[in-house]
Amino acid sequence: MIRTLAVAGLLLVASPGHGLGVRDMIGRDVALAGPPARIVSLVPSVTEIVFALGAEDRLVGVTDFCDYPPAARRKPRVGGMLAPSLEVITSLRPDLVVATTEGSREETVAQLQRLGIPVYLVAAHRLADVWDVIARLGALTGREAAAGHLVAGLRARVRAVEQAVAAGSRPRVLYVLWPEPLIVPGRESLVTELIGIAGGRSISASEGTDYPRFALEAAVARAPEVILLANHSASTGGIDRERWRGLTSVPAIRDGRLHAVNGDLLHRYGPRIVDGLEQLARAIHPEAFR
Amino acid sequence: MSPGARLVAVLGVLALVLLLVGAAALFVGSAALSPGAVLAALTGRTGARSIESVVTLSIRLPRIAVAALAGGALAVAGVAFQALTRNPLAEPSVLGVSGGAAFGVVIGQSVGLGFGVLGAAGLTAFAFAGAVVAAGAVYLVAGAGRLSVQTLLLAGVIVGLFFASAITVVISFVDVNRLGGVIHWLLGNLATIPPASLGLFALTAAAGLALVLPHARELNLLALGEEAAQQLGVDAERLKLQIFAGAALLTASVVAFAGPIGFVGLIVPHALRLLLGPDNRLLVPAAFVGGGIFLLAADTVARSIVAPAELSVGVITSFCGAPFFVWLLRTRYRALL
Amino acid sequence: MIVEARGVGFVYPPARRVRPFRLADLTFGVAAGELLGVIGPNSAGKTTLIRLLSRVLEPSAGEILLEGRPLARLDRAEVARCVAVVPQGVPPQFPFTVEELVLMGRFPHAPGRYFESGADRATARAAMAATGVLELATLPLDTLSGGERQRAVIARALAQEPRLLVLDEPTAHLDLRYQAETAALLRRLNRERHVSILLVSHDLNLAAEVCDRLLLLAGGRPVRLGAPEEVLEAEVLEAVYGCEVHVDKSAASRRPVVQVVWPDAGGR
Repeated sequence: MIRTLAVAGLLLVASPGHGLGVRDMIGRDVALAGPPARIVSLVPSVTEIVFALGAEDRLVGVTDFCDYPPAARRKPRVGGMLAPSLEVITSLRPDLVVATTEGSREETVAQLQRLGIPVYLVAAHRLADVWDVIARLGALTGREAAAGHLVAGLRARVRAVEQAVAAGSRPRVLYVLWPEPLIVPGRESLVTELIGIAGGRSISASEGTDYPRFALEAAVARAPEVILLANHSASTGGIDRERWRGLTSVPAIRDGRLHAVNGDLLHRYGPRIVDGLEQLARAIHPEAFR
Repeated sequence: MSPGARLVAVLGVLALVLLLVGAAALFVGSAALSPGAVLAALTGRTGARSIESVVTLSIRLPRIAVAALAGGALAVAGVAFQALTRNPLAEPSVLGVSGGAAFGVVIGQSVGLGFGVLGAAGLTAFAFAGAVVAAGAVYLVAGAGRLSVQTLLLAGVIVGLFFASAITVVISFVDVNRLGGVIHWLLGNLATIPPASLGLFALTAAAGLALVLPHARELNLLALGEEAAQQLGVDAERLKLQIFAGAALLTASVVAFAGPIGFVGLIVPHALRLLLGPDNRLLVPAAFVGGGIFLLAADTVARSIVAPAELSVGVITSFCGAPFFVWLLRTRYRALL
Repeated sequence: MIVEARGVGFVYPPARRVRPFRLADLTFGVAAGELLGVIGPNSAGKTTLIRLLSRVLEPSAGEILLEGRPLARLDRAEVARCVAVVPQGVPPQFPFTVEELVLMGRFPHAPGRYFESGADRATARAAMAATGVLELATLPLDTLSGGERQRAVIARALAQEPRLLVLDEPTAHLDLRYQAETAALLRRLNRERHVSILLVSHDLNLAAEVCDRLLLLAGGRPVRLGAPEEVLEAEVLEAVYGCEVHVDKSAASRRPVVQVVWPDAGGR
């Protein structure tokens, strides 16, 4: 809690009469006229966090993909993440737009800045970054206390998972972000860290940067003991399972440890990421959660 | 009516239509602005920081300029390629030249060129190199000199496919997060660009036009065949090189600033030919304005039909272009099918 | 002399699967007001000769003079103002009208102009009148008959106001009627308008009828040059064409008439 407040304090450089200058998560200085009261979120994760902090009254625009919580769907839409409508954004008169380096286009950011709209960029590659995003959004929306509270609760749940799986083995895990082409979480991916916390060892932990492509052969050669298929709010269930069932040399297939997990929980870095972590832990160490 | 007067009349009418379409486009968009609000912004009655002003003058107006310029450049490139190859089905995307230019841009972006006027100039250079390589490849694959309709189309398809695959290879090394952006670009999108970039775009398009327009009369003579044109006093080799360079530059500038947009160079010249006849001295300047009208209309549809989301303008032109292409083949080239 | 070739030779650059061909020792001239015919079997070098005269190709030996000046030193437009080539028709799907085609012949006189001048249009109309296609002026070429198209192409060449008109097989693919019309047209242009003409033809009788002199080429070399009676002798023709011929004299014009002696089918 104290740490969160300290972080928030370091982030805000208040100069009376000249508005606020803040520094975003990739080190850019963002000049604000005052505490933002009209925020457009171009990132579903950010939308979720803002609602979780109870600051949704400051949110004036969201993307078509901001579907959680359900109330978010009632906010004005600005289009997709790749090509949001500049006109709609402008007409919402935002004093801050929040975007991400993983999903928003640089060109969109540049265009918004040229129109005089401040853009705040976030990115999360590690769990620590997720707490950071929550803290920063708390500072920006004046809900530092709620942010601290939220982070504390989430961290407690993370510790609980760590303790539950501490005793067990660490099976080799293959996480399938996308089956065709096979895309897996790599070195810099948040999912890799979560698999570790959940008591598993991702077989692609040393690969590429965040979400590299991977040859199916290489995956089979590393003999994963658990295979997790990410579900993206569209069915990847039945059909894909069939594709994997043929790989009988793989321990995960032999032992029937092929599970679907909710991709939305794990690929967004809102508070539900801990729900995702718990889902991972239950899939990797079912015995610890009976 | 003397030919000069006819040209002026045609250009006058087309320019008027362009102005009307452009004006109409100013009133269309996903921010719900009333016509009065737009007019107020245009006449400076609203503040510079007001929504009306920003949307109308900083978002819509530059985009309209880009659309008109890109459409004009692509249409002229189409006329030029058609005259050069004596083949009415030739145009930058059919000949694989757009693909080559797009590949050039993708390479340029992967070595770090991107923003600012200098970055845009660098990308245009890469696009031009790609366009030249592609056009040269088509020439070689088709067998220099034997530019029959079938051979040319086939060569263009082959070269286009090759560059599409090459682009896919480069893309496969792009990380997943940036993938969406790259694919979005490949579909061909017009977007608001800053004034400096718009200026550079206009400059390179003008340079391309300057390489083609003065030789419009000689392009007519080329229809007699290269040998016959030479016997009339045309320096065919030099002419081909200049027209080729001009068409490649026009294509490259559009691809660099807007991405690969197809079929404009096919639809617009043919529509104009039906109205004005085959004289390139009328077609080239008319295409520059007519192309602008077409692409501007297509882009206005693209950005309003599923508002606030936007369709890529390349999707609209392909949807119009592919059936048009088939219709052309069936009516003009029955013998081929 | 309008055009003079002195010891002209030409070799096509070697290429795979193309038989090597060379033109050699070509020396002849076309006098002002003359109608010279160039005859010979296929691949005798007739088309190559046309390309050399219009500067599409450069000779590898000898030189060509155009009104006394070396062809090689003239630029293309100058050559085109002096020599007009009438090819065998127009490429398929040629989209222009007769008038637009004929106006193209004015290009070498003012290559820098964007549109033709009023004087250009007048010259074009005169050329169309001379070949009898003026009333077809606004029609697209592909709506015309073969003969009309040929006359339009000749009009285009006339519009160049050349000193020498070169025709490449003008009656190939034409009906008899149009062959006769073309012959009459050529004679009229030559006699009444004093146009010097070089006529390349495989039609020996047309050439014999119309031309003042004939140049017989075979295998890239000149074989005979002279009046039709001197060139069209049976032995010479048999040696060059490799078949039996019989040369008669036309009752009407006293010009030679060449007839092929058909191989005996059996018994008659």
